[in-house]
Amino acid sequence: MTTPRAHATTARSAGGWSLERRDDGRLDFVDAQGRRHENVDVLRAFPVSAPEGPVAIVADSGGELAWLDALAGVEPPLRSLLEAELAARELVPVIERIDSVSDSEPAEWCVVTDHGPRAFKVRHADDIARRDDGSATVTDTVGMRYVIPDVAKLGTQGRRLFEKMV
Amino acid sequence: MAHAPGVPAPASAPLHGQSPDLHWGDRVHLLPGERVVATCRFDLDAALRFTDGWIVLTDRRLIADPPAYSAAGVGAAAPRIWDLTATDRLDVHLRTAVGRIELSRDDAVIARWLFTPARAAAVHAVEDAFDARIHGSSAKANQPAESAGGGSVEPAALTVSRHDDDEDAEPGDAASRSWRALARVVPFARPHLAMTLLGIALSLASTAAALVPPYLTMPLIDDVLVPRQSGQPVPFWWVWWYLGLLLLAAVAAWLLAWAQSWTLAWVSERVAADLRVRVYAHMQSLSLDFFSGRRTGDLMSRVATDTERLNVFLSVSLVEFVSNVLMAVFTIAVLFWINPTVAMLTVVPFPLVVFVVAVVRDRMRRGFSRVSVVSADMQSVLADTIPGIRVVKAFAQEAREVERFAAANERVLDAGDRLNAVWSFFSPFVGFCTEIGVLIVWAAGAMLVFRDAVTVGGLTAFLAYITRFYGRVESLVRMVPSTQRAAAAAERIFEILDTKATVAEAPRPIRPGRVRGRIEVSGVHFRYGAREILHGIDLVIEPGEMIGLVGTSGSGKSTLANLICRFYDPSSGSIRVDGHDLRDLSITDYRRNLGCVLQEPFLFFGSVADNIAYGRPDAGRDEIVEAARAAGAHDFILALPAAYDSRVGERGGSLSGGERQRLSIARALLVEPRILVLDEATSSVDVETEAVIQAAIDRLVLGRTTIAIAHRLSTLRRANRLVVLDAGSIVETGTHDELLAADGVYARLYRAQLRAAEEAAATV
Repeated sequence: MTTPRAHATTARSAGGWSLERRDDGRLDFVDAQGRRHENVDVLRAFPVSAPEGPVAIVADSGGELAWLDALAGVEPPLRSLLEAELAARELVPVIERIDSVSDSEPAEWCVVTDHGPRAFKVRHADDIARRDDGSATVTDTVGMRYVIPDVAKLGTQGRRLFEKMV
Repeated sequence: MAHAPGVPAPASAPLHGQSPDLHWGDRVHLLPGERVVATCRFDLDAALRFTDGWIVLTDRRLIADPPAYSAAGVGAAAPRIWDLTATDRLDVHLRTAVGRIELSRDDAVIARWLFTPARAAAVHAVEDAFDARIHGSSAKANQPAESAGGGSVEPAALTVSRHDDDEDAEPGDAASRSWRALARVVPFARPHLAMTLLGIALSLASTAAALVPPYLTMPLIDDVLVPRQSGQPVPFWWVWWYLGLLLLAAVAAWLLAWAQSWTLAWVSERVAADLRVRVYAHMQSLSLDFFSGRRTGDLMSRVATDTERLNVFLSVSLVEFVSNVLMAVFTIAVLFWINPTVAMLTVVPFPLVVFVVAVVRDRMRRGFSRVSVVSADMQSVLADTIPGIRVVKAFAQEAREVERFAAANERVLDAGDRLNAVWSFFSPFVGFCTEIGVLIVWAAGAMLVFRDAVTVGGLTAFLAYITRFYGRVESLVRMVPSTQRAAAAAERIFEILDTKATVAEAPRPIRPGRVRGRIEVSGVHFRYGAREILHGIDLVIEPGEMIGLVGTSGSGKSTLANLICRFYDPSSGSIRVDGHDLRDLSITDYRRNLGCVLQEPFLFFGSVADNIAYGRPDAGRDEIVEAARAAGAHDFILALPAAYDSRVGERGGSLSGGERQRLSIARALLVEPRILVLDEATSSVDVETEAVIQAAIDRLVLGRTTIAIAHRLSTLRRANRLVVLDAGSIVETGTHDELLAADGVYARLYRAQLRAAEEAAATV
């Protein structure tokens, strides 16, 4: 039995295509010719160096469906839909506190983030990127990124553990 | 232990979601005969907060706790159970850091759980088990095994070693050469002249201050203590007076020495830092032939280890050296001023010491040179095998490489032992000589005291100075190894700085801007060492033409391509671009017009975007994306964890050969070269990727003068003209069809390659 899908939210773009967020939470893309692609993804092309920059909409099988140079120029209904989808799909926890760092290799970090407590493994110092403004990004062994906005504000113990790794 | 949201965690719950065991047993009751098929954990809740939950798949049901999001809203505190029907589907979607597990019934999602890549393995196992259960299909077939990357033969790697017969021998013997090398470091201090002069002034002052105390002991003994001993009345406060002066002198000496040490060390660190940058910058300016004759380990050792040795010498030993020399000189001066006769006697053992030092110094310099060389050899083993670890493992040569390293290590040990044998004799011998010196002074001094020619105080002061003098000499002698080590290091460093680039910039180079791309090769011969690789090549390439270079290996294809890139200059003949001889053009300007796609694409440690923009670091993001699209790389880049900001390893380790090829093509596209050199990979990739790469190359060669060292049949057919090389000469030119019809060298090669391709296809 097929039930007509309830479209929870639809947003059209200037390019003639539209995005539909279904009741069940999945995202569909309908191109300018009316073809429907189900279960698409929205992602940032430069998530680290230019998060306000280009955004791509990608099909389930991997092909690119649409490209937006920046969210800034996008009309509001579509823009808020995209931003909501990006927020639901991206996860870059901010490390608020470092509780312990093991001596093994790969090192096991136990931290507290803005999404709750977390444990992860870091392979080596190359996976920790420090920036001039005092922030740092840690990439764990499965590719997830964690951000420390200001290493100096980690607290004495946290800073010591961090410096030990670097 | 999992706990539902809203329920306070039990006291024993571990932090950070690390609980190792899945204790769902007491929260779920299995039906009789029900069997567990697979389990997994998930670690995100609907609000993307870290949590700890589990999913159990049985042959009848799916049980999850906490229930997470479902169409009906947030679940209750008990695990949620779904009785599975035949039309149910479990989909797993993981592209970014937030993965989704979705249970759907009749094409509608009825439950969703979120997870991070840390849980991916088990989640995929549950997905596979679900598929197997419902559809009876086996686990997903593995992707076709990635074909091995092609051999990384560098276009410029010629195995013939260089003849040394035209190398000029530097005048002077080895010893003076190394001292001169050390002396050449001095000009590097010029930018810091003020601090250097200050350091020198402080050295003189602190030395002078340190010489005062023994002088003060003379009156203390002669005018205070000795008279008191013989019964004369002497006021005690004189003692305090002299001691006070002594203390003052000691404090002054200390403070001055501190200032001197800091100042000179400051200068030395900067000199070493300048030297390091100069060496690396100069090395970058050298031509390719310098690198092809060298081992990477040796070069790295010179820039890193040798400069570090020099650095340590400059900031630590040099200060000591300066102090010791000054102190020794001043002390002798004072001695001669006090009593020339005894002073003469003092220095009797000195010439013997100098002689021994000279002999030993030579041995030590040779020893240090040898240690440097064998250490560099050892580093070369590392530099060879660590980047090429794939080859080592593929051929199971790990044991042999360890043996090779151990042998190099043995040689380092041996060289060190020899050096230490010389040193362990030498140092105590000098100590012995200085003891003799002191004895002589005692003897002479005692005789003079008996003759009333010298007071006891005078003798005491003398002995204090002597001891100091020989102490300094011993210290200087102890420094010989580190000076020699530094001299040897300086020699190796200046060897690089003295090398001139063979592909030299013309005195007034022409700056061509963007070239049209007309290339004329006239009568070009190329010799490398004793071998002549190219015997008179004449070729004209019009702008926009695509030339395919064909021939057996060793026929000179790569050499010709290298000459056109001006990595080497021809031995005779000339290469002209747009009418200008290459040697008259500015090297950097000309190379900006070139794009290279090599056989083994080398990716630097950086983001994908950085790698694509390597030839044009100022390129905008949209240009980078444009180049990636044209190269067919855009889609796989978007699939990487951080898209264009994903970091790629030293050799692009996490990417497949086809993906690295496409990044390399994107890099060349971004530069928009007028002249393109394409060295095709001989390895094959799967049919789909091959088509993508072919399309990318088509876009790349459009409108550009292209020299392709061709292997692909499609490239051969597409070229405007094929140039067939055999043993360094052009034997045939023409289009693919013309050459096949002519049934010559090319036709033979082509048919052989076709046969090989067919055989390869047949054995798959």
